[in-house]
Amino acid sequence: MKDKITWEEMKKKFPDEWLVVTDFELDKYGKIIDGVVERHSKKKEQVANPPIIDKDTAFRYTGESTFAGLRSHAAHHHSF
Amino acid sequence: MPLIITPFESNLHHIHTTFFVTHPKTGSKHSFEGIIDTGAPCTEFSDVILVRAGFIRSVDQEIKIKSGLQTQKYGKTILPKVKICGQDLNNFEVFVSKLDESWGIDALIGLDFFKRFRVTIDYKAGHLVTEPL
Repeated sequence: MKDKITWEEMKKKFPDEWLVVTDFELDKYGKIIDGVVERHSKKKEQVANPPIIDKDTAFRYTGESTFAGLRSHAAHHHSF
Repeated sequence: MPLIITPFESNLHHIHTTFFVTHPKTGSKHSFEGIIDTGAPCTEFSDVILVRAGFIRSVDQEIKIKSGLQTQKYGKTILPKVKICGQDLNNFEVFVSKLDESWGIDALIGLDFFKRFRVTIDYKAGHLVTEPL
């Protein structure tokens, strides 16, 4: 049986990975407080593929988001 | 549906929010992370999470993100039940997209969500207020 661990432990154990977490609790921002890691991978697609887990799940990335906004991206890649 | 207050972390560069999609067959709920994007006319969901949530069978491997872009829309699907900012949306149509994996998010919540509610963004308080029209 897999152990329930905290989000901080998940980040430490699975850095920059995509996780499928069950039996989870969320804080007021929707961030995971703790849960059971059912699947993990550096590749997003690998954790999403079937078989579907027939439980409530949370799908999260443990790394830092590089999202800087679409306009910022366009400005970076195209000269106006 | 009443007025709902949803906290967000105002120290981040963008407004991150989590949302729930209900699996069409099992009824199980799947939580994902997205960004509120007032610059996007339509909501885009990652194809990968639509597989996870049971709405499409597999991602289309032939579709690639074009150079200079970070998303690539390639289809549409209707989500029978999704909860965003605590508000239930039925039959919400979204684009199926490839999103840059380094973003670490699963969706861009666009203006089509805003059109269904009266939305107030209070940065000082660090929350969104949504109220059905």
